Amino acid sequence: MNSLDRLIKEQINREIQAKTRRHFIKECVAGMGGLALGSMFMGCNPFLGNSKNGKIALTERDINPLASMPPPFPAKVKSVIYLHMAGAPSQLEMFDYKPTLHKLDGQATPQSLLEGKKFAFIRGTPKLLGPQAEFKQYGESGNWVSNFLPHFSKVVDEVAFLKAVNTDQFNHGPAQLFMHTGGPRLGRPSIGSWVTYGLGSENQNLPGFVVLTSGGKTPDAGKSVWGSGFLPSVYQGVQCRSKGDPVLYIEDPKGISRNLKKSTIDAINKINKAEFNEYADPEILARINQYEMAYRMQTAVPEVMNINDEPEYIREMYGVEPGKESFANNCLLARKLVEDGVRFVQLFDWGWDSHGTGHETSIDLGLRNKCTEIDRPMSALLLDLKQRGLLEETLVVWGGEFGRTPMLENREGQKMAYLGRDHHGDAFTMWMAGGGIKKGASWGLTDEIGFSALEGQVSVHDVHATILHLLGFDHEQFTYEFQGRPFRLTDVEGQVIHEILS
Amino acid sequence: MWNIFKPEDTIDFSTQIKPILNKNCITCHGGVKKNGDFSLLFEEEAFANTESGSPAIIPGNAAKSPLIQRLHEDDPELRMPYQKPKLSKEEIELLTKWVDQGAKWGEHWAYTLPKEVEVPTSTQSAGMASYGPDGFIKNNIDYFVLKKLNQNGLEPSPPADSSVLTRRLALDITGLPPDSGLYEDYNSGKITYEQLVDNLLADTSYGEKWASWWLDHARYADTKGYEKDMGRTMWKYRDWVIKAFNEDMPFDQFTIEQLAGDLLPDPSEDQLIATAFHRNTMSNDEGGTEDEEFRVASVIDRVNTTFEVWQSTTIGCVQCHSHTYDPFKQREYYNLMAFFNNSRDEDTSEDEPNLRFYNENQKVEIDKIYEWISKNNNKEVATSYNKFLKYLEPVYHAHLAYNYTNGNLADTKWLALRDNGSCYLDDVFTQNSNFIYLRYSSGIDGTKMTIRQDNSEGEILSQFTINKTRGRVIQKFPFKKVDGKINLYIEAHNDKIPSTSPTSYITWFAFLPEITSANEAQAQIEDNFMALINSHVPTLPIVIENPDYQKRTTQVFERGNWLMKTDTVEPATPQSLNKWNEAWPKNRLGLSKWLVSKDNPLTARTVVNRVWHQLYGRGIVATLEDMGSQSDPPSHPELLDWLALRFMNEHQWSIKALVKDIVMSGTYQQSSKSNAQLFNLDPNNTLYARGPRIRLSAEQIRDQALSVSGLLSNKMYGPSVMPPQPDGIWQTVYNGGNWVESKGEDKYRRGLYTYLKRTSPYPSFLTFDAGSREVSTVRRTVTNTPLQALVTLNDPVYLETAFYLAKYMEQSKEVEMGIRKGYSKAVLVDIDNEKLMILKELYDNSLSDFIKNPNNIKEFIPNDENGDAKLAALTVVATSIMNLDEFLTKS
Repeated sequence: MNSLDRLIKEQINREIQAKTRRHFIKECVAGMGGLALGSMFMGCNPFLGNSKNGKIALTERDINPLASMPPPFPAKVKSVIYLHMAGAPSQLEMFDYKPTLHKLDGQATPQSLLEGKKFAFIRGTPKLLGPQAEFKQYGESGNWVSNFLPHFSKVVDEVAFLKAVNTDQFNHGPAQLFMHTGGPRLGRPSIGSWVTYGLGSENQNLPGFVVLTSGGKTPDAGKSVWGSGFLPSVYQGVQCRSKGDPVLYIEDPKGISRNLKKSTIDAINKINKAEFNEYADPEILARINQYEMAYRMQTAVPEVMNINDEPEYIREMYGVEPGKESFANNCLLARKLVEDGVRFVQLFDWGWDSHGTGHETSIDLGLRNKCTEIDRPMSALLLDLKQRGLLEETLVVWGGEFGRTPMLENREGQKMAYLGRDHHGDAFTMWMAGGGIKKGASWGLTDEIGFSALEGQVSVHDVHATILHLLGFDHEQFTYEFQGRPFRLTDVEGQVIHEILS
Repeated sequence: MWNIFKPEDTIDFSTQIKPILNKNCITCHGGVKKNGDFSLLFEEEAFANTESGSPAIIPGNAAKSPLIQRLHEDDPELRMPYQKPKLSKEEIELLTKWVDQGAKWGEHWAYTLPKEVEVPTSTQSAGMASYGPDGFIKNNIDYFVLKKLNQNGLEPSPPADSSVLTRRLALDITGLPPDSGLYEDYNSGKITYEQLVDNLLADTSYGEKWASWWLDHARYADTKGYEKDMGRTMWKYRDWVIKAFNEDMPFDQFTIEQLAGDLLPDPSEDQLIATAFHRNTMSNDEGGTEDEEFRVASVIDRVNTTFEVWQSTTIGCVQCHSHTYDPFKQREYYNLMAFFNNSRDEDTSEDEPNLRFYNENQKVEIDKIYEWISKNNNKEVATSYNKFLKYLEPVYHAHLAYNYTNGNLADTKWLALRDNGSCYLDDVFTQNSNFIYLRYSSGIDGTKMTIRQDNSEGEILSQFTINKTRGRVIQKFPFKKVDGKINLYIEAHNDKIPSTSPTSYITWFAFLPEITSANEAQAQIEDNFMALINSHVPTLPIVIENPDYQKRTTQVFERGNWLMKTDTVEPATPQSLNKWNEAWPKNRLGLSKWLVSKDNPLTARTVVNRVWHQLYGRGIVATLEDMGSQSDPPSHPELLDWLALRFMNEHQWSIKALVKDIVMSGTYQQSSKSNAQLFNLDPNNTLYARGPRIRLSAEQIRDQALSVSGLLSNKMYGPSVMPPQPDGIWQTVYNGGNWVESKGEDKYRRGLYTYLKRTSPYPSFLTFDAGSREVSTVRRTVTNTPLQALVTLNDPVYLETAFYLAKYMEQSKEVEMGIRKGYSKAVLVDIDNEKLMILKELYDNSLSDFIKNPNNIKEFIPNDENGDAKLAALTVVATSIMNLDEFLTKS
């Protein structure tokens, strides 16, 4: 091989590497003669397009960007279900029990705590607010759970708590972006996009990254929290909706039978194949593949999104409400999706912003209702995954974008009609369960009133590093070249939280 | 990799050494970290003493240089790169040779001026077919391309078929398929290729197509972004961009007007509109957010966007630390920020300052006021009033007030005092005015307002009563004349309301110079003035500069944190780029002149590279967003420089001339047909041995479908439109906005007029890789996904276009002829027999399906009362045609 050939070869390899992170050129010839749906790209990996005058070398990802890829390191889990309570749930009414705060209820907050702190709405000197729920220890772990979550208290030994998560963002939009993209400003890929980019999807009939929302609204930061940022948009989250088409435009037009749709796609792909013979452009092969996948998705998505066929006891267990958009339905869907090989399922439940500006946002009444909405389904999700043996290969993450203050909110410096707590990011609670997680663990400790971390403080980047670790990535090496430099989910920070790993 | 033809002996820093350093060393010895006090980022650092007390590089003596010694160490604790595999033999050899040769530090090509290059006309082609009227060589571009092809043993492809070329050209220049008349004229030989190009460039759809491209750079959107994502009226800026392209405004002027139109002498309305470029930054209305934080975020975005758009440089990293790879220092970031830090906008909810668009009668009134004040007072005062009429500035926004008692900044927007409420407002320059202007709303009568100097004991400067208003109003109240800057103490009293109710909601305070005249018409003039500033007129957010008394200082933020301010800095441009001309003002106007100075190495290269990318789907430097030591090297460095110099010097920054140069080349006109050998040798078509073949953009895909079906509206300009989209797409928190489907022809406007809500863009555009324009996008990634197939197969918008294409096909008596005609209307080439048979078979299947299930006909084509199975089957065929790769792609 002369030097020129070598250099050209290197250039080709470099381009391919840049595209796929790893380079593996598969030399496997596919007969392109008889074209039939489902036969072209399933099974063998025929990543050599046969144009009329020879074979062209392609990687699997050239034709199918969602092709499944093994992680670089041994993984504990294959998929992730991330439950995000948008608005920021109060750790002080759910998991972080502070008896001292109870005693200090109604007292003015010491100035030393307020110095240099900024709050979204609290002004002047607020009063402390005792926990509005009752707490008990549960399970063998003896971890604390409040009476707002009676079902969850029974599965508490399955999870590991992080009691002192820290974020430097205290407005919803930026904090949600930080929690899901590793940066508070727009433009970075979400964690689900990173994971789908890195691992592809196990199921070629469904999107690799599915988003389900409940609570009547989408997250404050909008669709960017599941956006692909600078990664190719094929890795962005696909929102599956409870009303209308589960995925936009997934339903055939009225009057078009499945058979007719099949004939249509067959015709399109046959002509595209002829086009490929003429032009030898692998994008055409990719398009043929995508049309086939679209056709399969049209059946697979409504199937997986249909919870009516689940046995009654399962529906009962989650407390589903068929036909509605609910967190319970979404939990059951999440299980079905990971069972079918979806890589990343992201749930957003809206309505956790307990400022106390009204009944719904009050920390005693409204929050309790929100807890009731999630208590049963999220507990059922853990049990259901467990009974199917899926919990060992799935990671379930629960949290909000920050926590809430131990102080009573005094919006505009005044007493309000309902009890509420303001945004607070210094120390809040998240939990994880599933493969590789130390069951019953609790890491991190907050002070007597739950305002600051005393030990075991972890950052959003640490949480991300841990999730990636469980999926088989070293977060420092998992990068994507953009604007002339390698980017990572964890920016330049992040440490795996080994204390909650088994 | 293309530098293999350099003489082996002299090592070149930029191409041979810098990449090794960037890859292996700079992470620990660069901008962020300087381990061992050694950095390889800047020349002076590389040769300075390190922690050890002596330099790591001794020019001319590799053996004595620790840099080289450390590469050979066996002890892993000492060997570099630290805890990484040893460098390859070749790499060590290169570095050693380089040090021995004197360790000459070289400048990166991107930071040196484009070089005058000779067009390589003497290049010998492998075959003489390249020359002559039908050959490959059509203009100078082709010599550069051919040279590289020959070096790689390749030959150009034959020219594309004229029909394919017409479609490619029209889509590239106008974003639409060619008009049938023009298509006929060229394909029948009535007009030449050049005439075809000129015709297309002269079509107003040219401006729309290239505006789409520019609006990505400008992050143009119809909403503000962030949590609430409220609407914002920006479309007049879009109109300006379309017109600028159609008028072929030279790119240097295009730059200056957008970055600094307000600073031009006596700026025209259009020049002020142009400044909206930098008002496309997002602003945050989320409750509890601080305006100053997001004002700073906007300024940072303006710095980053300016450098990304004009300099192909990601300057954002430098906010926190000196650039790791490129020669920009952290302080220089803040020097740049100082240029942008004095615009009047402050992340307020109403996006002030807003340019006000008055009607003709009002304009006459405004002229009269100006004339009158000029005559009876002076021009300076008249100008103040004129500017205030134009954009209601300068004002002091409510969020500047502090230290509230019985009051607060309500909803983080308005100054709201309750009974016995007070607050402070510092550093106010009253212009020695005898009036204070207030914009406010109030739901109750009889609030007594008192404004004192300094504090509650201070001298009363103004005292007045405010009453119930209808919405927000501007009123003026007598004010005691004071010289210089003062601090205000503001009180409100109204004991007729509950102690929890605010007395009023104040947006801003303003002062205007006193009008002194003995003229009895003064009262009328003042009344007219008040009526005009209170009139509700269309507006557009613009950039204007702070007056001297409102100037902000700019400070370096420690680690990029806006709350940790350190050294004060002045406006300045980075040292590694072109020198500042002292004749330029040290403001945005000077900066924009610096950018379009012929001494700037990056601007022209950037534009040329991106226009090339628009036409070829790939830049000469593939990393469009980055030209620097981390970017891909140019595939054709000489061509890049030649085009850049020609663009500036011969074409006087004309984009149309640049586009024409490229499309007139034989390189562009090649057939895009590839083959396995060619593909395997050059999969990304870096060498241009074939023509471009790229999937159309989101807007083009929709526009083309509408155009082919005859539905496309050619209405230009105006507010954004809302074509049909599925229900339930807009679900933004706290935002009452609704997608109200446009009626009539507005349903069928070109894609660039579609309303763009940042948190929830038009779904089918998003699917085809159009961004949400939250930040500047210089390159859209092109993906190929199943969701795209679902859009063009099932979206009612596309079904409607297919239906109308089917109606056209139905006009032919013979089905086969109908299919033939429909196909060629869509892709502009004649169908071959194989494809015709496939579509005919689909037609037959569809026909029998609809005949068997006649109820499906009405459901599938509800638009046609007399629709029969034949029309339904043709609609299925039309859908297939409009889903073909050849339809979605320009070949």
